[in-house]
Amino acid sequence: MLPVKQVAGASLLMLLFVVPLGLGFVLLGPGIFDGASFTALFQHPQFFGAIGLTLFTGLVSTGLALLLAVAIVMGTVPRLLSGSGVLLALPHLALALGLGFVLAPTGLLARLFVGGETPPNWEMVQDPAGFGLIVALVLKETPFLIWAMVAVLESDELRLRYRQEMLAARSMGHGPGSSFLKVVLPQVLPRITWPLVAVFSYGLTVVDMALVIGPAQPPTLAQLLWTDLNDGETSANGRGAAGTLLLTALTGLLLLGIWALTKLMRPKLRFLLTTPARPEWGATSLGKWFWAGLILVYSAIILALMLQSVSLHWPYPDILAQQFSTKAWQNVAQNLSPLLVSLGLAIATSCAALLAVVVWFETQNERRDRVMLVAAVLVLCVPALMIALGQYRLLLTLGMTGTLTGLFIAHLLPVVAYVFVMLHGPYRAYDKRWKAASAGLGVAGVGFLRKVKWPMLYKPLLSTLAVGFAVSVVQFIPAQLAAAGRFSTLPMEAVTLSSGGNRALISVYGLMLMLLPLIGFLVASRLTRSRWQDA
Amino acid sequence: MFTRRRLLLTSLAATALPFSGQLALAEGFAAIQSEAKGQTVYFNAWAGSDTINAYIAWAGEQVKARYGVTVEHVKITDTGEVVKRVRDEVAAGKADGSVDLVWINGENFRAMKSDKLLYGPWSESLPNYAFVDIEGKPTTRQDFSESVDGLEAPWGMAQLTFFADGAKVPNPPRSMAELRAFAEANPGRVSYPAPPDFHGTTFVKQALYESVISPDVFATPGDGSLYTSYGPGLDAMLDGLHKFFWREGKQFPKSQADVTNMVADGELLIGITFNPNEPANLVAAGRMPATTVAWQHAKGTIGNTHFVAIPVNAKAKAAAQVFANFLLSPEAQAKKNDLKVWGDPTVLAVAKLSESEAKLFTATPAPGSVSLAGPALLEPHASWVPLLEAAWLSRYGKG
Repeated sequence: MLPVKQVAGASLLMLLFVVPLGLGFVLLGPGIFDGASFTALFQHPQFFGAIGLTLFTGLVSTGLALLLAVAIVMGTVPRLLSGSGVLLALPHLALALGLGFVLAPTGLLARLFVGGETPPNWEMVQDPAGFGLIVALVLKETPFLIWAMVAVLESDELRLRYRQEMLAARSMGHGPGSSFLKVVLPQVLPRITWPLVAVFSYGLTVVDMALVIGPAQPPTLAQLLWTDLNDGETSANGRGAAGTLLLTALTGLLLLGIWALTKLMRPKLRFLLTTPARPEWGATSLGKWFWAGLILVYSAIILALMLQSVSLHWPYPDILAQQFSTKAWQNVAQNLSPLLVSLGLAIATSCAALLAVVVWFETQNERRDRVMLVAAVLVLCVPALMIALGQYRLLLTLGMTGTLTGLFIAHLLPVVAYVFVMLHGPYRAYDKRWKAASAGLGVAGVGFLRKVKWPMLYKPLLSTLAVGFAVSVVQFIPAQLAAAGRFSTLPMEAVTLSSGGNRALISVYGLMLMLLPLIGFLVASRLTRSRWQDA
Repeated sequence: MFTRRRLLLTSLAATALPFSGQLALAEGFAAIQSEAKGQTVYFNAWAGSDTINAYIAWAGEQVKARYGVTVEHVKITDTGEVVKRVRDEVAAGKADGSVDLVWINGENFRAMKSDKLLYGPWSESLPNYAFVDIEGKPTTRQDFSESVDGLEAPWGMAQLTFFADGAKVPNPPRSMAELRAFAEANPGRVSYPAPPDFHGTTFVKQALYESVISPDVFATPGDGSLYTSYGPGLDAMLDGLHKFFWREGKQFPKSQADVTNMVADGELLIGITFNPNEPANLVAAGRMPATTVAWQHAKGTIGNTHFVAIPVNAKAKAAAQVFANFLLSPEAQAKKNDLKVWGDPTVLAVAKLSESEAKLFTATPAPGSVSLAGPALLEPHASWVPLLEAAWLSRYGKG
């Protein structure tokens, strides 16, 4: 209970996370949020259509992703699930582009199964209802939720307990499916609340995927304000800022609403847990099918990206391109510095974030987590462009744009947010009695952490590190602003080179962006092979 | 009338220049050149094309070898980003700005000029400015009807151009009326990028021009009440086109790059570009077939000039001018003009060059280069753009 230790422990995360975040918001200034901007926003002809599409795509995609993730975790041999890291490594943008290559009227599906002189009249990509965007979001978020659930189930602390409870439920006549749903899931869901919040916020505010595969007339709100914020005119920037504020408020209100609803519904849903045992509820096959389907779609997307990366002119309905070339790959090979900058930043930010978050957990009372969770959720809910702009203003004031330190700070915020959100559940669930027991055996302080606690928590710690790494690698907007043209990262290179629509280049960089996090996830999943539910 | 008289005066001044001012100019520039030695120019330029990036790299090597100036190509997707960055830096009092030279025109130039974010005037004092075709290419001094005033140096010419696979489109439509007939015969296979993508906005401007008898009226500022007399004609023209367009004109592709890929795939039949030689580049890069054809409308399409400008807080102003001067040299302009390199039309008057320099510009047509050319039409006054975009959005933006 030494205040010095507490203050020192808190200062790291405060300094690296809360202070820059807060200062960024302060520096964005009250000047841009004026009444005229809001009036202009409400008068935008696409405004109401955009709000409707945002709600529809965000809510439906999150709901479907959760359902799919639960079905898969419930029904799949967990050994297979370690592969979810591979799926996680595919960046949002590459997934959207690859899915486009699969689903478009001139895409792989139509070429393989439709054919004919002219392509079919499909509206699956950039369709007015946003179904293409929903499919892309579900594909992207399901592996993330699986990963988060497995991280909870896999923490050494909980693994044994779940296993015993599952066995107990089985002995009372429940099938594996119903024991999971009634015994394990109700305990897991609260622990993945924050990853779920991240998924939902992402669905409402996503820009890059929506630009590729989302609706256009009208677009989603996030696309609308992205266009405004990037405009050279200050009045359009103001309208974009007003839209950002509104989207953030909307996300917050929806989250509050959902939270209140679950609170209200909980007593009424309790009966579900006490319905008679259903030995026949295996549900295993369904989950396996979903999992196989997910793997299949990802494989098709990666295959499409690989084909496109070496294809020149490839008109419909040809199954393969008429000419191939490795020019796009040579382009990357000749220009390795963005890769190295991205790699260095990802290692530095994910380690720094993990260190700061663990120090926080070790020195702070659990009640204080709320402050950090609010800050983290703010980072995840507020459209990335806004956070990045705030950080940019801060770096500009400090004279740190165009420096490696500036780039590091700009990348750190989203990484800390994800690391805190991912680690919060498993780390705080650690049974405090271990500490007393170890102390009784003469192991305390750092020794206890090093020899007992961290080895027990190494799976969630590693998983979180891998997620932090992946989050850092794909940052585009903060990098672009903070680098001020002095450094180039992999996503910066990818986005600028692909603005001319050269699909081979886009595909190469999409695959490159996948490669780095893939290594991280593979290492993490190798070291955290699933063992729970061996029964 | 006003602009024409002004142009006459400036062209007189330009012809007088070689006698009176050339010497002083050369001396002044020698000082700039010695100051520039050892400086680094951070050149912020759109990087979506391999051929353009390679050309910039070549030009950088040349000025490094000749003048000791280092050029770093800062790759960007949208010049609006750069305008915002300079605005932020100036507001934060940053004197050694991160941008030394920016590739720019139109709206972004107007925004930077009116917010006093540009250094200058400097461009007309560049030695190689004497070769610029200010008489034949008035857009080198009027950027989207905004007077350039020496705040940016012309770099290349652009003109709205259409392209297609000639095997699928043997008789290219050379007016909006013909385009409508073509779309009626090929329903769902024609479209254009949604404004405010500037290719889309230019398509709408082109339709506006072709919906009136004489487009001269748009050279003067427009306003809401003026728009009401031309809006209905434009709406009727676009409605007539849209009903045969992709997704019945209820949805539009998001960018010119999307349209290009859809044409290459075969989903759409006609592509749109502002670089008359882009179709030839696409053929050379293997992204379009060798049967590709490019054309402009018979009565002309909208054309303009693109420039390079120096921000007011640039760190290496001298080196930026040395680089801009090199970009304007007959050698660099001829290389840029070459279809095998980039194919960007020159801003120089070949008649003003020496015989050996002029020879560098003899163009050899390649598959995909413009076969049916039309005259370049001046951009409408910049005030028409927000009117057109707002009207388009409320009429066609809701699906």
